[in-house]
Amino acid sequence: MAPCVEGVWKVGPLMSDHVVMENVVLRRGLRRVFEGIDLTIPRGKVVAIMGPSGTGKTTLLRLIGGQVLPDSGSVMVNGQEIPRLTRNELFAARRHMGMLFQSGALFSDMSVFENVAFPIRVHTTLQESMIRDLVLLKLESVGLRGAAPLFPNELSGGMNRRVALARAIALDPDIIMYDEPFTGLDPIAMGVIVSLIRTLNQVYGMTSIIVSHDIAEAASIADFIYLIADGRIIASGTPQEIYAEQSPRVKQFVGGLPDGPVPFHYPAADLEEELLEPDEIGR
Amino acid sequence: MVPYLRQLGQLTLRVFGTVGRAGRVWWHAVWRRPRLRNLPLVIAQIYQLGVLSVVITVLSGFSIGAVLALQGYNQLVRYGSESALGLGVALVLVMEIGPVVSALLFAGRAGSAVTAEIGLAKATEQLSSMEMMGVDPLQRIISPRLWAGFISMPILALLFSAVGIWGAALVGVGWLGVYEGAFWSVMQEGVDFVSHVLKGIVKSIVFGAVVTWIAVFEGYDAEPTSEGIAAATTRTVVYSSVSILVLDFFLTLVMFNL
Repeated sequence: MAPCVEGVWKVGPLMSDHVVMENVVLRRGLRRVFEGIDLTIPRGKVVAIMGPSGTGKTTLLRLIGGQVLPDSGSVMVNGQEIPRLTRNELFAARRHMGMLFQSGALFSDMSVFENVAFPIRVHTTLQESMIRDLVLLKLESVGLRGAAPLFPNELSGGMNRRVALARAIALDPDIIMYDEPFTGLDPIAMGVIVSLIRTLNQVYGMTSIIVSHDIAEAASIADFIYLIADGRIIASGTPQEIYAEQSPRVKQFVGGLPDGPVPFHYPAADLEEELLEPDEIGR
Repeated sequence: MVPYLRQLGQLTLRVFGTVGRAGRVWWHAVWRRPRLRNLPLVIAQIYQLGVLSVVITVLSGFSIGAVLALQGYNQLVRYGSESALGLGVALVLVMEIGPVVSALLFAGRAGSAVTAEIGLAKATEQLSSMEMMGVDPLQRIISPRLWAGFISMPILALLFSAVGIWGAALVGVGWLGVYEGAFWSVMQEGVDFVSHVLKGIVKSIVFGAVVTWIAVFEGYDAEPTSEGIAAATTRTVVYSSVSILVLDFFLTLVMFNL
């Protein structure tokens, strides 16, 4: 598969591809969120989806999970056309997916142990002793076995996300999606999360999709990167290829430059004119 | 003229959209394969919605029963008919005040709590995370609360009426001196289970269904912001209260052949 910039994959989907999106168009009211997204996520790889804030990266994950339906185009996950599944089929398909939400999204009325046990209890008929062992092993893998009796409001941000990760992998999914896993974490917690993502991918062979705008951390673990802006994929390639890309928009994002094709200012009237018309402020 | 027509059209679309989404929630949560494995969740919600509403129901029922006895006695004693006090209080409570006031209390205490709880779960992505785990929140979160509402409401209404009658007896017999035998025997003679009590129970089941439906839907459909949840909670209390009072009129009209 030859990656290309300002374009799409040059070859068709392969059996080894876990997620294939073709010409996906999504509108929200009059706004076009995606204008023909094509991307392929190979099985067992770590793929980062990056781009400036508000470009629909999280929405892309929701498309893959079937929480948002596209206006047109195809979203294939594990060979299943997600938008065409019935409600029951969709819920069945999601049992093979894991998702780490930006907020952690732990159930606030359950302890850490019960949060991780929740998907196991709902989807399996395992005995309580077996569930206990499984939950403790999952918590051990994120270093929080000792936090099992705590409640989410007693956890720090980093611990919260690690518990959410343990819950997301409770049923050993084939694919795991991380929504901004590095946001708001201190360097130590961030290092722990990066290491966990890498370990989960290498040990369990899970296909991993990371949505992030933290280019350094994502590039350190991703096999492949897609850059999204203005509803399109503006670049794709290995981290080295993205760093070497000369497109102004890619350079601005990778270099974190305030000036460039992506404007710093939200569209507005001329400042001088607006200052001279105080009655109009805020309207 | 055109802007008004446009606004009317937008309002119509919004109302139909809301009714459609509310119907969908009802369909998925109640009629589509109710699951026996959710029974422990229903029991837990009966505790949250029903048992925790007992104190406010008992206190209100007692107060209203006592007031009805005071007011009723003042009127009846003028005609020497104070022995009918028990009958009058009992009929008013089981047919009207019991189902209506207990439903209003239920909407204020349990309905608002349900809306806020579900709305907050939505705002903190707990519902989304549940969906992504392959668990349908309509089955897991909404359905048990709906069933708990259906079951709790008539029990609370009966409790309200029973405590109200007890309050009326304390005031009427114990304080105002109505002859105890007449108080209870006239009540026993005049109150019919099918004609009066059962119709009150039917009312409370309808009120329970409507209040819980409004509460879960408003939470599930809430804008996932603090303002959105506050507005949804307010809507639950307002819509529930108005629905109870309007429905009471029509149910009375139909059930009592008026």
